[in-house]
Formats: sequence, C-alpha cells, structure tokens
Amino acid sequence: MNKQKIRFLIVEDDEMIRLIHKDFLKDLYPESEIIEAENGAQGICHYFESHPNIILLDMMMPIMGGEAFLDILEEGHNSNILKDKPKIIVVTAIKDVKELMSIGKRFAVEAVISKPLVQNQLKSLLEDWIS
Amino acid sequence: MNTTLPQKDDFWSVPVFDSERALSRVHQKQELLKRVIDIFIKSLSERIDIIENEICNENWDKLETMAHSIKGSSWTIGAQQLGDIAYAMEKAASNEDMTLLVHLFQIFKEASKRFIEYEKEMRF
Repeated sequence: MNKQKIRFLIVEDDEMIRLIHKDFLKDLYPESEIIEAENGAQGICHYFESHPNIILLDMMMPIMGGEAFLDILEEGHNSNILKDKPKIIVVTAIKDVKELMSIGKRFAVEAVISKPLVQNQLKSLLEDWIS
Repeated sequence: MNTTLPQKDDFWSVPVFDSERALSRVHQKQELLKRVIDIFIKSLSERIDIIENEICNENWDKLETMAHSIKGSSWTIGAQQLGDIAYAMEKAASNEDMTLLVHLFQIFKEASKRFIEYEKEMRF
C-alpha cells in the first residue's frame, strides 16, 4: 500500500474518539484521505463511495453496529459485488474475551485493539501494511 | 439480582481525571486535549438525558450501548472514575438490573459534576 494514496475510513459513533483517530492518522500519513462515519450504515455508504483501504471500526454503535457492517461487507464480497477486500482494524471497548476472539475471525478483520486505544499498537500494524 | 449495592466510595478512590494518561492519548497535544474534553463534556449532558429517557422506557439495548460508549470515551481521556461507573452501568444494563442501574446512574451523575468542576479548576 502506497502511503500517498492511502484512504482510511473511521466508523465510530463517538465524535471525540473520531477526532483522536483522525489526528493520529494525519500525523502518521499527512497525504492520506480520511473519511468519517458515525455508525455502520454511514460507514457502508462511505465504503461504496470511496473504497477505503483501511477501516477503523467500532463495534457497539447506535443505528447500525460493527457486526452488521461486517455482515454487509462479507455478503457483498461473497456475491462479488465488492471486489476489493479492505483491511479492518476493530477498536472496541468490549471486554469479553470470547466475543473479542469471535470478532477477530470475522471477514476482513486483521486486528482487534482494545479501547482505550494504545496508538503504538495501531502504528506498528499500519507500518506493516503501508510503505 | 444484586443484594448489596455499590457505594460512591467504591468509585471515588479512583482518580477523577488522569491528565498524564489523557495527554498521552493525544500525543501531548494540549490544544487537541482541550477540544477533546470540550466534546466529551458536551456529550456527557446529552448522554445523561438519553439514559434518563431510556430508563423510563426500559430500553436495555440502548442503555447498554450508551453505557458502553461512555465507558470507552471516559477511559480514553483519562476520566477513570466515570469510565468505571459506566462499565458497572453497562453490566447492570446487560443483566437488566434496574435497581442497580438506577443506583449507579445517580452516582454517575454526581461523578459527572465532579469531573466538570475538576476540569474547570485544572483548565490548562
């Protein structure tokens, strides 16, 4: 992945956490494009419009949560509507280990990071993918 | 359902606000932290109103989601006390324990005032 063309999608209902994610990503990749969504439904719309390479996804959100967001992406991919497979990093405050493990096995989920987000974890993941 | 309700002191021993942790979350950017805390405080009063309504409606899913969301944002900005109470509220909502949830919500409202007052005094 080329850092000059990288496109991030942040799907997170909390404005404050979106702002922190966005600031962090802009510092790391100033030329990247960052798209924000307040819930899974908005996230799906932005996904179809913008085809982001990397998605930071919260799980528990009003209107549409992360589970439904992943269901739709998986369905789209399985039915060949979606060609590209994004890399999804789930950032969640869920503490239940079984639940976290099952999220980790979902379609396109590359990593599950606990809130509060330790940004070095995110940074090292991104550095593995982006040149 | 629960027999012993938690007391304020169970939460009061945790710091109201851990500024070092908060600053580390925003890479030591004080201006960003101010913006983040402003958003957090604004959202607190909105969320309190929502929880009050949803308690009346016994909307457990919404109550759990709301408490979960408050927990995440509180811990993110170092509002440890509020995060811990919200976590307890999330579990109470998940167990559909109204007595405990209402009790914790009263503590949460008081802790919110404490946080806002503390933050005003500490405005950096």
